[in-house]
Amino acid sequence: MFLESGFTVFESGQSTGARLVLDLLADEGVETIFGYPGGAIMPLYDALLEHPLQHVLTRHEAAAAFAAGGYARSTGRVGVCVATSGPGATNLITGLLDAQMDSIPLVAITGQVRTSVMGTDAFQEADITSIAGPVTKRSVCVRDAASLERTLRAAFRLARGPRPGPVLVDIPTDILKAAVAALGPRPHSPHAAPARPDDAALDAALALLHGARKPVAIAGGGVRSAGATALYRELCARFALPHVATINALGCATPGDPNFLGMLGMHGWKAANLAVAEADVLLAFGMRFDDRVTGRPDRFARNARIVHADIDAAEIGKIVATEVALAGDLRETLALLLQRSEATRGTRAFGGWAAEARAYGSALPVDRAPAGALSATAVCDALFAMLPPDAIVATDVGQHQMWAAQRQRASDPRHFLTSAGLGTMGFGLPAAIGAQFAHPGRTVVAIAGDGGFQMSLSELATLRRYELPVKIVLIDNRRLGMVRQWQDLFYDKRYSATDLSDNPDFVALAAAFGVRAECVAEPAQMGAALARLLAAREPMLLHCACYPAENCWPLIPPGASAHEALGPEALEREAAVA
Amino acid sequence: MTLDFTLHDWRVMERVVGLIGRLGCAYTRLDVRAAHDRYHASLDLVGAPDALRRLNAQLTRLCNDDKEMSR
Repeated sequence: MFLESGFTVFESGQSTGARLVLDLLADEGVETIFGYPGGAIMPLYDALLEHPLQHVLTRHEAAAAFAAGGYARSTGRVGVCVATSGPGATNLITGLLDAQMDSIPLVAITGQVRTSVMGTDAFQEADITSIAGPVTKRSVCVRDAASLERTLRAAFRLARGPRPGPVLVDIPTDILKAAVAALGPRPHSPHAAPARPDDAALDAALALLHGARKPVAIAGGGVRSAGATALYRELCARFALPHVATINALGCATPGDPNFLGMLGMHGWKAANLAVAEADVLLAFGMRFDDRVTGRPDRFARNARIVHADIDAAEIGKIVATEVALAGDLRETLALLLQRSEATRGTRAFGGWAAEARAYGSALPVDRAPAGALSATAVCDALFAMLPPDAIVATDVGQHQMWAAQRQRASDPRHFLTSAGLGTMGFGLPAAIGAQFAHPGRTVVAIAGDGGFQMSLSELATLRRYELPVKIVLIDNRRLGMVRQWQDLFYDKRYSATDLSDNPDFVALAAAFGVRAECVAEPAQMGAALARLLAAREPMLLHCACYPAENCWPLIPPGASAHEALGPEALEREAAVA
Repeated sequence: MTLDFTLHDWRVMERVVGLIGRLGCAYTRLDVRAAHDRYHASLDLVGAPDALRRLNAQLTRLCNDDKEMSR
């Protein structure tokens, strides 16, 4: 038998670098990793054969990164993806940036060419640590076997927080083969305690709230990351605060809470956007005032004095002027606010203002579908009405993402998974795969558009291989719908490269992968088709052949204010004039 | 604006230099010196006040992550 050279015979108490990596992953609580093998990472894959860690073979490294992201988003635990050097590693980049933008804990492990040839443009060599630098919290190359364990431990610590994010560890193949000391006990090295908001700032925040007439609370993804949902709900309830959520915090509100006004932002609910526009005090928790939320910052919430609570001090004051900065862990911040407002409990409540804000509008405007045509918004309405309460939904990116975000009914922020900050097409299906591995007994649905689905459809093979019962709702409008909508509204209907009318036969395509599929094109068939999909015990795709001209409303044009949101009348008026 | 900071991993300077350009700032002096296992950096920067403020905040984050990674 021919064995590749470079393996070291090791003694008792020793291990190989590859084995140490796997042992350390298990020791850090990792149960499942997502990856794709190749030359430089082969020692790790060889060691996997004798290791209890579950490895999921995706059909593209990008999908491995998204699946690890879906795993992490749905659990709060660190997701792990693995790839080889060169193209394998560069294929992870979008998934890493996706995790960076949404503060998702991820560790990426990449193989690297052996240390003796690094820097020589060796086969499949890429300076991945430099390439990944701007898209990760840190990316490091392990240059000596003795530092492997310490580097990996640090990577996990850093990925977890205080603000979670991705870390890449690049390991040359000779380090993976080298003899190293077997994994030692997990050192007690908790993260340095995050800053705690000072008492004066907490009191100032509460003073602003007590003096407010129209306060609004905003939950961002940081509430989810911090595990602070219950405390956030309690604060909102104590003051009967009207509150809204960014797309990453959908599910933070208590289901059915009448004071929850919906999603904030470009496609947010009218009441949510107008309440923020009219607010005199904003309590922002774990959000970063993204431009899809603020529009033009100088026109955002003009009357509001802003309290901004965030684990990352660099976010405070970055986009909007903040009057009170609460830098620190959100759980602690919210607990302190509750504790310090205990004495004045019941003296201030804003139910009247919440009712006024609700009256700004709770209906989502929709286009009128042509007679007999299937509407994507109707599909979303029906789907969310039928889902079990603990279902996990992963979306792709585009119109369907916003339709889903507007209509979702998540009872927990880890039930709605979406690429928010980066807006990555191709994210939905692999993210759903990651979530289904983390929650094998739960209903997991991937909602995708026809554009994004075709960026990761090879993962149908992953569904089949692992018999994952992920349900795919494919909203096919034969267009890159969101870009087409913007071409309609802002580019004089000049449709450049948005026509996908030559889409493949998706049902036949799924069948080729061995995945059950059916097509629905008529509104009357939709309910039964969705019921069959949700009842399926195997992977299944429901191809929804929707009419192509449907738009996503409301839409606040870039640079406009909440009061200038567009609805269906924007295009109807234009059509009438024409 | 002058920024002085300490790094454990000199490669973080790549990130700092990248951020300076990204935020539309520029450095007029850049000095990095190794001392034991640390790197002391000093930069003179020019740029819009908002950009310099954001740079400073993000630099603090990078230094904190660098410190954490080196533990």
